[in-house]
Amino acid sequence: MTTSTLLAVQLDTYLPVLLIFVMAAGFAVVNIVASHLIGPRKQAAVKGMPYESGMNPIEGARKRFNVRFYILAMTFLVFDVEIIFLYPWAVTFTQLGPRSPEGVLFLGRILFFIAMSVVAYVYAWKKGVFRWD
Amino acid sequence: MMEMSERLVLLLPEIIMLAGAIVVSVLGLSRGSVLRGAVPLATMATLAAALIATVLVHDPERAAAAGLPLPMLGLYGRALVASIGLLLVAVTIGSVDRRLEEAFAKGLAPFDPIRVLGGEFHAFLLFSLAGAMLVTVASDLIWLFLAIELSSLPTYIMVATSRGSRRAQEAAVKYFFLGAMSTAIMLYGFAMLYGAAGSLELLQIQAAFLGGAGETPIAVLGVLMVVIGLCFKITAVPMHFYAPDVYEGASVPVTAFLSFVPKATGMFVLMSILAAVGWSADLDSPSLPPNIEAVLWMIAALTMTLGNLGALLQRSVKRMMAYSSIAHSGYMLVGIVAGPAFGGYDAVLLYLLVYGVTNVAVFGAIASIERRGQEIDSFDDLAGLRIRHPWAAAMLALGAGSLIGMPPLLGFWGKLDLFVAGLGAGQTELVVLMAVNSAVSAWYYLRLAGPPTIAPAGPQADSIERVPSRWPLVTAVAAGFGLFLLPLVLDPISKAASVAGPPPIAAAEEAASTSAPIDPAG
Repeated sequence: MTTSTLLAVQLDTYLPVLLIFVMAAGFAVVNIVASHLIGPRKQAAVKGMPYESGMNPIEGARKRFNVRFYILAMTFLVFDVEIIFLYPWAVTFTQLGPRSPEGVLFLGRILFFIAMSVVAYVYAWKKGVFRWD
Repeated sequence: MMEMSERLVLLLPEIIMLAGAIVVSVLGLSRGSVLRGAVPLATMATLAAALIATVLVHDPERAAAAGLPLPMLGLYGRALVASIGLLLVAVTIGSVDRRLEEAFAKGLAPFDPIRVLGGEFHAFLLFSLAGAMLVTVASDLIWLFLAIELSSLPTYIMVATSRGSRRAQEAAVKYFFLGAMSTAIMLYGFAMLYGAAGSLELLQIQAAFLGGAGETPIAVLGVLMVVIGLCFKITAVPMHFYAPDVYEGASVPVTAFLSFVPKATGMFVLMSILAAVGWSADLDSPSLPPNIEAVLWMIAALTMTLGNLGALLQRSVKRMMAYSSIAHSGYMLVGIVAGPAFGGYDAVLLYLLVYGVTNVAVFGAIASIERRGQEIDSFDDLAGLRIRHPWAAAMLALGAGSLIGMPPLLGFWGKLDLFVAGLGAGQTELVVLMAVNSAVSAWYYLRLAGPPTIAPAGPQADSIERVPSRWPLVTAVAAGFGLFLLPLVLDPISKAASVAGPPPIAAAEEAASTSAPIDPAG
């Protein structure tokens, strides 16, 4: 196979990807242009207000937070992401045999994963992340 | 493919390192200063346990089943990293968090876990060493990549936290961004290798290259990009320029760490990848693609020459040692160019040990002295060091002698093996270049050896004090004795370092005939 035919074959296989890009761009452009052209424009004071879960906004959005919130949020994120991983694990685990070696290994892996998160928790605790004085 | 449980047994040393890193990171946050002081000792205990585990779990059959191009690298490589790691940890004792611990001890500041960094530093040190050990038993490109990153990422943080100065942070940022760039180049090379060979597993890649996959442009480009990316880790020429700035910015113990661990990692990976793409101990099988060999030749020649020329111009000890580190990478690349069939790989592995021990002697001596809490970093300050710090001066002189390659010291035997391998492979020009470079390097190494031992004391010599911790000097002296004593046991070390070819069970006779140990007595 020469280089040119090789290149042609490879490019052919990417045609669907190109189509996806064209369709995605086209969809976005058509929607924006169409809503500009045919959408009604009625401005009102209440409608132009920033949306804050239905409450009236009380002050500017650019408020300074204590940096502790940031560390706490990071600690939360560790457990949040861990929970997300537990769901597909739990679904797949039931498909393995009750006492099969694969099942034991699979259980061992998730226990290791949870243990690592607990280590992160212990570390954060000792580092003083949860002290607010 | 290996069973998961079998692989876990193979990885026991790394698992021990992981457990040790967890213990150390939490231990470092203890309220009691005694427990915090135990952090380096716990780190060393972990390394000792990993070293023992390396020897215990080593089994030629298991190594042969692991799917590695260099099955025997796991034993020597991991034992080497763990042993030199022990020395490197000993050099750091007393330097991390020093000001903070002094303030705690005097009651000037209340204990604050946020500001204490010793636990994290030692945990990252263990992670980095674990990565360096893991590359020796990585059987496919994904494993290899993760292991390389495990060994690199902690070093960026270690540079940043090693001392509380802006220069350390600047060095860390430079190191991180350039390291990320080199990693990207290497990863792109991995992708091309996968495209050329159709597999991520090193043995499959080896089979594909034996079947002629190495003749396609994509394969050559892939190997080339991997080599260039790895040049960053081993501070070889196209990617060497960061070394002086980073070495200068980091604290001395971290500089010692940087001069050995990334280099060992890079060399292990380079040997594994080149073994997978054609460098084999079998002379009859097809060899490396010729253009790759030519590129490696040029990198070796340029690296040792530019490293030595750069070192000639330096006034700072750490910058000089950075350029010296570049030059020594060039010497080691001679062994890589010579190839496994002529003992080149074995010579490189022996040289890594030589270089590691010698660097501990030099950096330990520099880490053991200070002026008003600041590191000594200029050659002028070292003049007349022998009067008040005879051991440190002696270790600097010994280390310099070993780096030059003076005969009774360990450095000579390392270089001799590289010379023999290079000549055996017919790389006469490269060996001549290496000899000329070694002669040139004597000029700047003698500046490290001469002023401390011979010159009269300078006006500022009296203000140089010993650091509070005795460990750096003790470690340097231990390494200095090693420079004399290790040549006596060179025979078993060379045997352990002969990793090219199949493990002994497969070919016991060939293994015995290919290893060419050097007898220091004769």
